[in-house]
Amino acid sequence: MKTSEEIKAIESQIWNILKFVIDPEVEVNIVDMGLIYRVEYDGDKTVHIEMTLSTPACPIGDAIVLNVQEAIKNKFPDFEVDVNLVFDPPWSPDMVSEEGKVLLGL
Amino acid sequence: MQGLATDNAPSPGVVVPHFIFASISFFVVVVLMLLSASSFTGYFFEPHLLAITHAAVLGFGTMIIFGALYQLIPVIFETALYSEKLAKVTFWTFGIAVVMMVYTFWNNQFSTLLVYSASLTFIALMMFLFNIVASTRRATKKTFLSNFITFATYWLGLTALIALIIALNYKFNFLNQSHLLYLKMHAHMGMAGWFLLLVMGAAATLIPMFLVSHQMNENKLKYAFYFVNAGLFLLESDWLFLHGSVMLPVWGLMIGAGIFFFLSYVRESYKKRLRKNLDVGMKHTMIAVLFMILPVFLGIIASISGLNFDQKIYWRIIMLYGFSIIFFFITSIILGQTYKTIPFIIWLVKYKSFVGKTKTPLPKDLYSEKIADIQLYSYIASIPFLLGGILAGSEITFNIGAALLLITAILYNMNVFKIVFHKSRIETKL
Repeated sequence: MKTSEEIKAIESQIWNILKFVIDPEVEVNIVDMGLIYRVEYDGDKTVHIEMTLSTPACPIGDAIVLNVQEAIKNKFPDFEVDVNLVFDPPWSPDMVSEEGKVLLGL
Repeated sequence: MQGLATDNAPSPGVVVPHFIFASISFFVVVVLMLLSASSFTGYFFEPHLLAITHAAVLGFGTMIIFGALYQLIPVIFETALYSEKLAKVTFWTFGIAVVMMVYTFWNNQFSTLLVYSASLTFIALMMFLFNIVASTRRATKKTFLSNFITFATYWLGLTALIALIIALNYKFNFLNQSHLLYLKMHAHMGMAGWFLLLVMGAAATLIPMFLVSHQMNENKLKYAFYFVNAGLFLLESDWLFLHGSVMLPVWGLMIGAGIFFFLSYVRESYKKRLRKNLDVGMKHTMIAVLFMILPVFLGIIASISGLNFDQKIYWRIIMLYGFSIIFFFITSIILGQTYKTIPFIIWLVKYKSFVGKTKTPLPKDLYSEKIADIQLYSYIASIPFLLGGILAGSEITFNIGAALLLITAILYNMNVFKIVFHKSRIETKL
């Protein structure tokens, strides 16, 4: 079992990995878009991700979710990635980070 | 994992052929247009014009909407399409029917072939209607937007029914009113009932999604829906029972009010958009939305009986009325939304299994942005020539516009085929 510092360090690494997952429509990474609600590492081999999509109707939603799983597994091949897709609270533009706003040209 | 639109997405084999047929149809439409410039400066009920109109609204517009709708059904209704097999049979039946119908009109075979091509079209459209209604019945989610799709499909069925009655009348001559009256009913059901409602319903989902705009006032869409349906119902009833009363402009204004509420919804989405830079797809869409105003204005002007236009001027207003709906509203929205649908469908097929494992191209990398840009510019450049050509009755001006539109059609086809036949850039490396 990992210490709480080690858990935090891995969670932080995962947040960084997710910064490379792009929403193909807006071409901004899903972290700065505010689509990732929660990253939780259990200290063993499971990572829980709680995320949303900018719209439930997103035509490539499952590709984004798959991308999240594969991107994490690339770095941590032994990990199990559990993605929980939620629409409550619904995503809103207020969730976009300052960096995301720059990328969106706001 | 729940709630994903792609869980119920149809196989690409159902959707993609519609896009191929439609883009070729658009090219054929513009070639036929170049061959018949004189038809666009005269009377509107003319064989070549009817051939071009039906090639455009059925072969191009309706065909691509069928494909897009099969893809959109899971998004809007959160259910899979009722039958993919039926969708494939519908595609072939409808494709043959459209070719037959265009041939019939072009060669002036009203009393012989028309009844067969109209019957085949009717059968194809009924199969489509059945598939959509059966799909929506088992929908797990019904929003107000789904009413647009359902009602548009019913109006399409009625449009096909009136067309069949007109075609049968050519052979058996049983109607007691002029066929032009039924033609008006048929055309308006098709334009306002099928295309307008369908586009409104689809665009109300897609425009805020692609512009990334939130907290929209959905009431505007409700008003749009009720005004268009009520206006159209009263317009059709007026023609059927009163054969065209002085109230026609009022029904036109009601449809116009519906369009106003829809425009207001799009404007709100545009103002609240998070994505500031519009791509080619959205620029085409915005042109189409702006061009919804022109036919409303022309339609109301043409329906005011007291204005007593010179016959030539009246014909030109009517010509421009129909032309602007088909070639500025429907065409522009399709040219744009093609770039927002087919690249995603093909991208999912080619790259879904590679995402996260290796670097994949983006959906927009599947087509040439340069070609898409020139397509947009040639399209915009064609508009004043086509408008001016019809208004001034000048064949040369119209032909310049048609030539520019031909460039648009060629470039559009190049990109559609580039997307459809895209070869994965990853498979060879693995």
